[in-house]
This record gives sequence, C-alpha cells and structure tokens, in this order.
Amino acid sequence: MAREKNTPVYVAALLLFLGGVGFLAFSAFTENSVYFLNVSEAKAVSPDKLTAARLFGAVSDQGIEKHSAGTGVTFHLQDKDNAAQVIVVSYSGAVPDTFKGGAEVIVEGGMGADGRFMARTLMTKCPSKYQKENRKI
Amino acid sequence: MYFFANVMQVLALLCALVCGCTALYALLGGKRSFASATNDDAWARQLEKGHWIVTGALLLASALLLHALYWRDYSLQYVASYTDNILPEFYRLTAFWAGQPGSMLFWALAVSVSGSLFARTRACKTLRPAVRLWYWAFFYAIMAFFTLVLTVWSNPFVTHSPVPADGNGLNPLLQNPGMIFHPPLLFLGYGGFTVPACLALAQTLAGRDDQSEVPWFRLARPFMLTAWIFLTAGIVLGAWWAYMELGWGGYWAWDPVENASLIPWLVGTASLHTLIVEERRDKLRRVNVCMMALTTISAFFATYIVRSGVIESVHAFGDSPVGVPLLVFIVVALVVAFLTAAFAPRAGKPLAALESREGMLTLVAWILLALAAIILLATMWPVLSALWMDAPRGLDAAFYNRVCLPLGAALMLFMAVCPWFAWDGGLRRKKIFLAAAGVFVIAAASLWNLGYRQFTPQITAAASITIIFGVLLLLKEHGFRRPVFLGAWGAHLGMALMALGIAFSGPYAEEQDMMLARGESGKIGEYTATLQEITGGRATGYEFITGRLQISKNDEMVGVVAPQRRIYDKFGTMQFSEVDVIPSLGDEIYASLLGLDNDMRVMVRVSVKPLVNWLWIGGTLLCLFPLVSLFGRGRTAAAAEKAVEAAVEEIASKAAPVRKIRRKRRK
Repeated sequence: MAREKNTPVYVAALLLFLGGVGFLAFSAFTENSVYFLNVSEAKAVSPDKLTAARLFGAVSDQGIEKHSAGTGVTFHLQDKDNAAQVIVVSYSGAVPDTFKGGAEVIVEGGMGADGRFMARTLMTKCPSKYQKENRKI
Repeated sequence: MYFFANVMQVLALLCALVCGCTALYALLGGKRSFASATNDDAWARQLEKGHWIVTGALLLASALLLHALYWRDYSLQYVASYTDNILPEFYRLTAFWAGQPGSMLFWALAVSVSGSLFARTRACKTLRPAVRLWYWAFFYAIMAFFTLVLTVWSNPFVTHSPVPADGNGLNPLLQNPGMIFHPPLLFLGYGGFTVPACLALAQTLAGRDDQSEVPWFRLARPFMLTAWIFLTAGIVLGAWWAYMELGWGGYWAWDPVENASLIPWLVGTASLHTLIVEERRDKLRRVNVCMMALTTISAFFATYIVRSGVIESVHAFGDSPVGVPLLVFIVVALVVAFLTAAFAPRAGKPLAALESREGMLTLVAWILLALAAIILLATMWPVLSALWMDAPRGLDAAFYNRVCLPLGAALMLFMAVCPWFAWDGGLRRKKIFLAAAGVFVIAAASLWNLGYRQFTPQITAAASITIIFGVLLLLKEHGFRRPVFLGAWGAHLGMALMALGIAFSGPYAEEQDMMLARGESGKIGEYTATLQEITGGRATGYEFITGRLQISKNDEMVGVVAPQRRIYDKFGTMQFSEVDVIPSLGDEIYASLLGLDNDMRVMVRVSVKPLVNWLWIGGTLLCLFPLVSLFGRGRTAAAAEKAVEAAVEEIASKAAPVRKIRRKRRK
C-alpha cells in the first residue's frame, strides 16, 4: 500500500524541515532576543545585563530636553504604575509626532556606563481608537 | 431605551444557550425517544428558526448603538468615549467598531448573520438532520460565548451619569477612510471562518456520508473564500495605511497586533491548500477538519492577543477583562476540535510521493503553519520566557526578518514549481518545468548582474518572476474559461507581485535623515534632494509647515515632494506628519518632514523605496482574483459539483495521449 511506501519519506521530510526551521529559529532566538521590561523591572535588573532591552513606560512631565545639536531628546521615563521609578533616557534621532509629557512610549537600546539608557529607537504608542484619548498632561 | 438593547443581548444569549442545549439533547440524550430521522429533521428546522431570533436581537442592539452614535447620546459610556460634538456623521457611525465593546458586538453580528445566511442556502437544506443538529450545536455554542462576553465583560450599553456635554473624540490619525475600513474587514475575516469550521466538525461527528451529501468544504467554500478575502484585504489595507499615514517609512513592523492578524491568515491559507488535496484527491480528511477548526480558533487567539493586554504593543488597546474568558474558550475549542478529528474514522486515501502535487501542497502547508507557529511563539515570548527567566525577554524585528523571510522565499520556490508536478508524482510537463527553471536562473543571474546580491531577496525575486511566468502560461492555456483556475492562479500572481515588492522595497530601500536650510541639498543613493522653500500657513482646521524638496537623479529633475507637518486646531500641540511621495513603479521617493529648528532648517526624512507599489498592486490582485472563483463557481452545491467534474476532466486531459491530440490540433 502506498501509505507504507510513502510514510517514511514524509516523516523524514518533516523531521528535516522541523530540524531546519528549529535551528534557524533557535539561532535567531539566542541572538535577537532582548529584555522586554517595565521601568520598575528594569531597575531591578543589574545594569550590565541591560545591554539590549526594550523598555515600556511613560514620559515624565519634568526633564524633557531637546538636544541642541541635531535631533534627539533626553527625558525621564517613569513606570506606568509607580511614577517614583524613573530611568533617564537619551535618544538621538527623529522624535515622533506624538511624543510629549505623559505619553506612553517604548524605547529600544542599551544601558550606558553613566546610568543613562541610550535609546536607538523611540516609539510612542499608536494613539489607537481602542483607547480613549484622555491621558491628559 | 438601552434597557431594551440589554434585553436584546440577553435574549440572544438565552436563545443561543437554549437552542444549543436542545441540539445536544436531541443528538445525545433524546436519541432514544426521538429516534427517527424525521424527528431530527423537525428539531433541526425549529433550531434554524431560533437563529433568526439571535440575529434579529443582535441587529436591533446594533441599530440602537448606531442610533446612539448618530444622535450623540453621551449617556452611553461608549458613545462618550469615541465620539464628540465635532465628529462628522460618517466617523460617528463607524465608531460602532472603534472601541472594544462595539467591535465585539460587530463581530458577533457578523458571525450571526453569516450563520443565518448559511441556513438560508440550498446547501444547508441538503444536509442530513444529524449534521444540521451538530452544526447548530457548535454554532449556538459560539454565539452563546459572544453574547455572554457582550452581556458580562464587554457591554457597549453601559450608561453613566452625570452625562457629559461633549465626548472624548476620535484621533485625527484615525479619521481616514483607510483606517476606518481596516478593522471591520479583519473582523469579517475572523468571523467568516466560523461557518466552515462548525460544518466541518458537524459532518465529522455525524459521520460523513459521501453518497447522500456534499462534503463540508464544498458547501462552505463561498464562506471560507469570502472570509479569506476580507482578512487579506484588511491586512493589506492596514499595511498601506501605516505606510502612507504614519510617516515612519515602513509598512510592517512585526508588532504583536500586526502579527496577531497574520496568524489566522497563514493558518487559513494553509487550510485552503490542504483542502485542494481533499477536493481533488479525497485525501487528508482528518487533517482538514483540524485545519479548518484551527483557522477559526487562531482568529479567536488573534483577538486574545489584541484585547487581553497580555503583550505590550505599540498599539494602545489597554487591558480588558475579556482575556480570560477568551483563553478558556480557545482551550475548550482546541480540545473539542482535536478530539473530533482524532476519533473520526480514517477514510481518506494515503498521500502520493513527496515529489507530487499532493506532496508539494503538503509542504506548502507545513511552511505556512511553521510561519504561524514561529510568529505565535515569538509574539508570546515575553509572556512565556517570564515563566523561567529572571526577567521577560522578547524578540525584535530582526528576529522575524531572519526567520520568516527565508521561509517566505522557500514558499515562493514551491509556488514556482508546484504547478508542473503531477498529482500522482513526477513531473507533469517536463519541457515547461525546464523552461521555468531557465527563467529562474536567468532572473537570478540578471539580478546578480544588476547588483542585487542579497541571497534571500534574490531567491524570492527570481522565484516570483518564475511564478509570474508560470501563471501567465497557465492562464493563457485554460485559465480564462475556468473561473476556479482564474481565481486561484490570479491570486498567485498577486502574491508573486507582493513578494517582488517586499524583496526589493525591504532590503534595498535607502533612507536618510537630513537637516537642510533653504538651497542646501543632501544625497540619498543616486538621488539628490534640494530644499527649495519652507512655507507655512493655514488650511481649514489646521496650521501647517511645508518643505518643498526638489529631487533629481544625475542632474536630471525627477520631481518635487512637499511633505507637511500639521497642527490641528482640535488637538492641541500634537503635530501630525503628512507624507508626500513621487509615485513610481520603479523607485518611489518618499518624504516626511520631521521638524523645523530655530535657524529655519528643516529635518526631513527621504527614502527611496524600489518597487514598493508592486506590493499594493499585488495585494489588490490577491484580494480581487479569488472573487472570480467565488462568483464564477456558483453558490449552490450543484454548481460546485459541476466544477469538480470539470476539474476531474481537467486532470484526465493532462494525460499523455490527449496531449498528443492537442498538439496535432495546434498544428
């Protein structure tokens, strides 16, 4: 019967396929995974481990400084639930339209030696219609 | 008045519960007392009528919500949250699906209407009573879940006092036709898979009888195709909106919410392909029941990712209480689906060898499922990794690009070679296969010569060109006379064009942020952007600054882009970027204005996006061509039967002796 004849071929192909995809995914998993943390969680992790991380938080109303040379901004990123937990973030590049005090943002980058988080990317949360726009300053 | 709306929702819930339980009772408990088929038939008829109550109640509730939105009744929390006094009627009405409770109602309504539509078809009437009873048992279970969510966790008809004088309003970025139709298309896509899935499970549980009735996938095909078209259109439209409106220069960011919509699309597409094997060859029966159920469940899972707040996303959807009930529902549905398929009798025939059309379609389904699994796992990684790691870890866009793009390239390769394999194994048309291989080699070599030498994009592009060659050949041979083929091959043509667009506009895009004073210029690749002037002014409802940039290539003028930054009167200090492009089927120039400094210098981001418009052209074809097979095929089971007969003839006509005759005729 054909089932007996073909089953080993399919099993071998599936194993080969899963092996290949698994290897591809695993190697990428180990190299491309970064910490996903809230500010309070990030403060609990030792800074030397935070070489690659994505932080979630809100922009503090105080301490927003636009860089004088080029574009960029330095600001205080505070925990969404606990405003006392703050990390200073320095970001060079184009600042998004919706960046302002109180906005929820996502930054990607690494912790610098001086305790500042050097961000490569700065994203403000999409002002989605799924949440009412009442996070006033 | 909203008491009445709440009553409607509760009525729908009760009706679904009672009818669902009755169906189960008639099937299991009541079998002995109402043993005969005529009795089953009577039960099924009554249950079908019950569904009109559910649909009617949800329609009334929806009408009340639309009424409240139109007349700005801010006593409803929902209306106050998503509209305001100055929002035009169109956007007020479409706020129906702007928030979570409303979109749940919209989804429930869509599923309910599709169920009632199916009950009206002749196809439904041809089913045996036992199948109909099982179908309604599943369908009512899903409706009961939806209405339970609506009445308990996510009710759009919650009132509040004091009633505010004005609402919160809708963000200007979202007041755009593209964004308004993106969510309902996705919801219609998610909802449309429900009928085929319920039917698959029902026919399996009642025991399939191939003599007396048409198999589920043929009956439910119009529903499945329609849902797939809606889902595809929703995803493409979302990507296009992100590209044209948000001004960050990309169309896909591998954000959890984007990934969530892609998972059901991948699983649904895999199902469409494994179903071909069953339709043509009567194989993979149990697999297909699983695949169909999995498609629907993955749509629910997409909602779970988006709505539960379990993953942090760029899209602010917020936490909501529907997460836990959704997860419970998903787990129960998975168990039911897999048990149903596992205990079904093995009736299909075994697959042909791997190097056959059957084998290729299976491999394609594996790749699509692997993509879905990887995206699912990676999206959920911050939650999963937190279980054993000290702090949650997640994956960035580089991960997805590294893993998903090679798999996508492999997919395109299979699409290129699959048509030339025979169903039973081996090459069907050796000469054309060799010609296709030639096209692939020439395309790859030409790309190398032109300097496009990144491996994965090169393979993808060469495979896409080969697919286009193959599809055009197939359509020329017999596609235009047979809507089914025209639809399927046309969709492949669309997919190939999309892949071509992605393979170039992704890796070969050039992007440059420039700080320019008037008269200064900056270089980007072969292009030069010169700032001509900076103007400011007022238009209706907003103030703007425009930077006019002249774009030239080797001292030849290409065109002018004038990106803007706007400040809307109603939205305080928030600035909005208005992108401008020089559209082209080759290199598209894309510019956004990032800011203006005190020395009257502007910061602009200019990008060159090669072949990006083929992505949108391909996406449009991908949505439109399947419509041909939908309408060309006819909606009744009888027409579907004819199409299958035609397909069988088609296979027969591929046999060698017939081909000889054809060749003679050509002479």
